[in-house]
Parts: sequence; structure tokens; C-alpha cells
Amino acid sequence: MTYPKATLEEYGYKDRKHLKKAFSIFGNVVVILTVTMMYISIFTLAVQSVNSSTDITSFESFTLKWYFNMFSNRMLRNAIINTFIVSISATFIATILGTFIAIGINAFEKKKRQRLMLLNNIPVLNADIITGISLMLIFSMLLPIFPYLFGPFTMILAHLFFTLPYVVLSVLPKLKETDKFLMDAALDLGVKPYRALIKIVIPAIKAGIFSGMLLAFTMSLDDFVISYYTTGNGFNNLSIWVYGSIGRRSLTPSVYAYSTLLTLVTLGLLLGNHFYQKRRAKLHG
Amino acid sequence: MNNKSFRNLAKPYVYWLYLLALLPVFVMVFLAFVKSEGIAFDEMGFSLESFALLTEPSTIVAFRNSFFYAFVSTVFSLVIGYFVAYRIFKSKFNNKFLVLTMLILPMWSNLLLRTEALGNIMEHNNILTDLLSRTGITLSIGIKGTPLAVLIGLVFTYLPFAILPIYTALEKISYSLEEAALDLGLTETKKFWKVIFPLSLKGVVSAAILVFLPSLSGFAIPQILGKGNIVLIGNVIEESFRNMNYNFGSLLSIIILVFILGSILIISKTDKEGETLL
Repeated sequence: MTYPKATLEEYGYKDRKHLKKAFSIFGNVVVILTVTMMYISIFTLAVQSVNSSTDITSFESFTLKWYFNMFSNRMLRNAIINTFIVSISATFIATILGTFIAIGINAFEKKKRQRLMLLNNIPVLNADIITGISLMLIFSMLLPIFPYLFGPFTMILAHLFFTLPYVVLSVLPKLKETDKFLMDAALDLGVKPYRALIKIVIPAIKAGIFSGMLLAFTMSLDDFVISYYTTGNGFNNLSIWVYGSIGRRSLTPSVYAYSTLLTLVTLGLLLGNHFYQKRRAKLHG
Repeated sequence: MNNKSFRNLAKPYVYWLYLLALLPVFVMVFLAFVKSEGIAFDEMGFSLESFALLTEPSTIVAFRNSFFYAFVSTVFSLVIGYFVAYRIFKSKFNNKFLVLTMLILPMWSNLLLRTEALGNIMEHNNILTDLLSRTGITLSIGIKGTPLAVLIGLVFTYLPFAILPIYTALEKISYSLEEAALDLGLTETKKFWKVIFPLSLKGVVSAAILVFLPSLSGFAIPQILGKGNIVLIGNVIEESFRNMNYNFGSLLSIIILVFILGSILIISKTDKEGETLL
């Protein structure tokens, strides 16, 4: 005598294989579409940068002349140089100060630290336009004393203002992760506190400092609104120059070439680093 | 580690933040209640003129537009961002950092140039359709200047701000929790809604705020993609400061600032030390 075998379905198992598959395909489509949309403007810039005609509506023929003439436009060249001067100096100062500030904040007790972080998050979350206007108002109040204040100095100060919180935010978690007794051990062994800070703590939080620096540089390089409000005396960075040129409809393809080159270089560095790490991991087993 | 003398390192920063982040708020409040030429303090007097400008139809439309666009773009960014972040989280790539960086890479080229390029290809005749037409495909989407164009611009510009915090929050969820959920008999879908989603809410809140605030106050994207047809509050603020009407500009800034402070408070409740902000 044979009993009918119960099937999985009778136990309440539902076969969702097809549903799962459909969902997975749908997911891939969404991701691909999203990535396409995120990259389409970069791609358009690249196409425009190799177009021999200055007309942005039609492609004439392939050329690399805009890459070679990148710096022949004096205004563009100055704008690019100014952008790098401001971003590099602001990032440099912000990385050093931000690291020490983070160490200082970390030394506070929890309540005080959280209040400080609230203050620290203001520049991060504040609208660019409000940060820009706020700084402009403060700098304007100094105008009676320093009539020619607005220019590179105010722009670097403004960039320092909004990049510092990013450095602090990326260093703090690393500080929390490091061994609490590391410092005590160093002090026990007779090292002075500030020397221990430089010799022990800073190397331990290196990764956080580096990512903070990268973040600060990214934010600073791309900033438009805050720079727009805190500059003066004809000191333009790339964003301000582009904004003016869009208004006058006078963008030269050289700027597309610059932007594409920058993207390619960062992409190259990124992939290079990836494969370098991979090879190193392989070599060291 | 917690040497008390190190606290002195952070003290100057507190004053720096008081001076550059808090003092301007008081200056703006002051400017909103007076009538002055720019920031010249010699010929000014108490006035509520800026408040009268608030009820102008154009200002009200700008406010309504701002909230509408910011809200819709936040919702879209969150849905798409969550989806993408979850896919990366579940994917089998061993270098997820690289994948994430690839998603942020577009942010490294200039925002204005990107927006301008996006605007160019939203015209009927553009360089991409020109290239496509040579291969025999004719395609023409002329949406520049429409609300859709501004929405697309906002969503795909700020999407990385949505993906990153959500991914950070997802990554912190321990895999043993998922195993436990499956062990206790939850299906995949239930596991997601009962375990993973609630634990990732912290990232979702940060993402929502990081997308909502810049879309609410930005002025470059609506200006370029909306061709001036769509005026958001950022455009009104920019215009009033350009026309030296600091009083009205300050008043509007304060109103925006109220929303920003609200968001900062929300963030400080859900994420006490700003872990998901990066």
C-alpha cells in the first residue's frame, strides 16, 4: 500500500523562482539606467571635447586640438590655476587643523562632544547659498577696516570653513576605533603627551586623515555658490568662470577638454590604485 | 587617548564656528527687520518692508515650487538610491569601495558643466542625437525648460548623496541578524522589511536630508535646466542679493535656515555623532 507523497507545496512552500528572477532582471535594468543617467552628462562633455566645431548641437569631426589648446584661453587658464590654488591651500590647512580639532573634540566627554558635533554639522548641512551669504556678511562687516578684503584670501577662508567639518567627521570615527590604552602605554613608557600624539595617535588614524583630505579637496574643487559670494576683485575660480560663460553663451570647448581630462585622470588613479592593491595582496598571499 | 589637555586643541574651533556659523544668523535676523542699502549701516531704519514682499504671489510661487521639487526629487532619490545601495550591498564584488567611488565619480567634475551638458542633451537637436542619426536612429526629446528637466537634473545630481549614507547604514548591519531572521522562518521579503529596512532607517533619514536641503535651496540647476521658467526660492535669494536688497534676501535665508536647523536636529537625534553624513 502506498501513501500519496506530500509535496513541498502542500507544506506551504511557494515556488518564487520566476518572481525572483524577474525581480533580479528588473533590478539590473534600474541600476544600469541609473548609472547611465549619472554618467550621461560626463559622456556628453567628453563628446563635446573631441568635436572640431564649437557648435554644441552637431558633431563635425574628431579632434584633440582642444586638449592642446587648453591653456591658450587666458581667462580659462587663470580660472583653473585659481581653482587649484584655493583648493590645495584650503585642503592643506583644513587637513592639518581638522585632525588636531578632531583629537580635541574626542577628548571631551560625551555630552559636550555631541553638542560640538551639532555645531560642526552646521556647515555640512547648511545650504550653500546660506553659507555663502553668511560669510559674505561677516566679511563685508570687515570692509571698513580692510577695503580690499574680498579676493583670494576670503575665498580660501570660506573654503577652509566648509571643508574643516568634513575632515573632523572622517577623523573622529577612526579616533574612536583606536585602542584607548595606546596613549597610556606611550605615556607609561615616558613619552610626552604631544610627542605621543604625533608619534602614536596620528599614524593610527592615518586612513581617516587621508579620506578627510580627499573629501575636503573634492568639495573645494567643485564648489560654486560659496565661492561666488566670497570672491572679489576679479578673482574667479573655474565654477564662477563657467557660470559667467553660460550666461554669455561663450563656453569654449577647452573647458570640456579640461573637465574630461580631470575625470580620466581620477578614473585612472582610482583603477590604478585598485589593481596595485590587488597585486600587492596577491604577492603577500 | 583622553588626555584632558588635548581639549584645548578644539577650543579655537568652537569660537571659529560661533563667529562664522552662528553670528551671521543674528546679522540676518537684524537685516530682515531694517531697510538698508546693502550692508551700509549709516542710513537705515526699522522697516517691515521685507515681510510685505513675502506675500507677493511670485514669492509664494517660488516657495511652493521649491518644496514641491525638493520633495519629489527626495522621494525619487531615496527609492532609486536605496535600490542601488542595496544592490551593491548584496552584490558579490569584493571591492565595493571601487564600485561606490565609481558612482561618486561624476561628482568630481564641475557641477555647472555637468548641468549645462545635461541641459544641452535635453534640447531637440543635440550632439548625441546628431551622432545617433548617423547610425540611423532618430531620437528627439526636447524637455529643457520643463519641470521634468529640473526634476531629472536634481535627482541624478544628488543621487550619490542618497546612495552613500544608505550604503553605510546597510553595511553596519551584522550578517548574523539576517541569518537569525532566516533561521526563525522569515521569507526573504519579510526579512527585508522586518530586519534590514528598520536597521537602515538611520541612513535613509540622513539621505533624505542630504538630498532635500540642496534641492530646496539650490539655484544653478533650476536656472540652467528650467531656462528661467521655473523659479525656486534659491533663485529669489540670489536675485535679491544681486539687486542689493539684502533685507529681503536675509529674511528668505532665515526661513530656509529654519528648515535646515530642523533637519540638523533630526539628524542629531537619529545619528548622534554624524556617522552616516559621510
